[in-house]
Amino acid sequence: MTRPPSPGPPSPGASSAGPGLLARAALALYPPSWRVRYGDEVRALLEDSGGGLAAVASLAWRALPAWFWPPRHLHDRPARMRASLGTALMFWSMLTGLGLVFAQLTQFQGLDVPGHPEVRWAYAVFDVTLAVSVLVAGLGGLPLWLLMLRRAWRERRRRDTVYLLLPVIAPVTYLAALVVTVRQVGGTNGISPWWFGVVTLAGFAAAMAVAATAIVVAVVGLCLWARSFAGYHHGTVPGIYLALVVAAATVTTASAARGARAALHTGA
Amino acid sequence: MTDRLDRWADPPLLVLASLADEPKHGYAITQDVAQTMGVRLSAGTLYAVIARLEARGLIEPLESDDRRRPYRITAAGAEALAMQSERMSKVASVARERLSARLGWSGA
Repeated sequence: MTRPPSPGPPSPGASSAGPGLLARAALALYPPSWRVRYGDEVRALLEDSGGGLAAVASLAWRALPAWFWPPRHLHDRPARMRASLGTALMFWSMLTGLGLVFAQLTQFQGLDVPGHPEVRWAYAVFDVTLAVSVLVAGLGGLPLWLLMLRRAWRERRRRDTVYLLLPVIAPVTYLAALVVTVRQVGGTNGISPWWFGVVTLAGFAAAMAVAATAIVVAVVGLCLWARSFAGYHHGTVPGIYLALVVAAATVTTASAARGARAALHTGA
Repeated sequence: MTDRLDRWADPPLLVLASLADEPKHGYAITQDVAQTMGVRLSAGTLYAVIARLEARGLIEPLESDDRRRPYRITAAGAEALAMQSERMSKVASVARERLSARLGWSGA
């Protein structure tokens, strides 16, 4: 590599004060390997250009894809595996949550609704996609998770170990709380729709806390929206639901495949 | 100079075009793109693009003692830029031809 004769025009806006607090906070949102590689350059650019709210907002927004699609040339294998596992867990959690909503929406109408064969199809596709997603998450996500857990444990990284155990701790805590709650509030006909809503929302919250905080808002919104259609016996809701399930299963599959590829990649 | 379609601009292409003549650092790229192509690249967009282009071997960083590390286009990057420029040139030619025909018709 050689030094360039002229890297560009001087930087009239350059200052020694450095980027503001917001800019540094936005930069802190990026993965560590990204910050090590590009952090100084971005800080210099913000100093030169004067920063501004728009620049900070853009910087913060672009941090998300930096986590989900870590640049390969940084050879950050753990980041790529983390991104893959996070994506798979997020969509698998979404899939499971949608399963609960689907069961609530269709439990009173049975499999055969006159004039609506799509309901039976909805059940069939739901079963297949759920089975495939469980298989994919098991085959693709579990080995990655175990690999990362083993490394964190051996390297005595306690915080990372706790984070990695959250997918176990959170569901177990949730299910234990669910069992206690159902026993306390359940009658001969099971729990009321209100309590069903409560435990479903709690389940969403627990699952999403493991996967990604950002998705919580969207899923809670979906749950509230779906409950407003309770008792609706036509095919529209299952149809929309199916599209979401297929999309979630597809993303889970792609993410698990990417994670497996990252696990096999040794870097340069 | 910006226009209503500048958000459709292809940032990787703009960065490659900016680096086509000589190496530049981040700030110089944003200035060049704004002045010559009329598109403002934010810091987030620019470094997302730089990371992507670097990962694909289309640009490469140069050594620098300064934090403002310059980048230069690689042979693969120049080839990709040439191909895309040729394609865009054809699109521009067709667009101009058809617009002039349409404007000539509607202006009658």
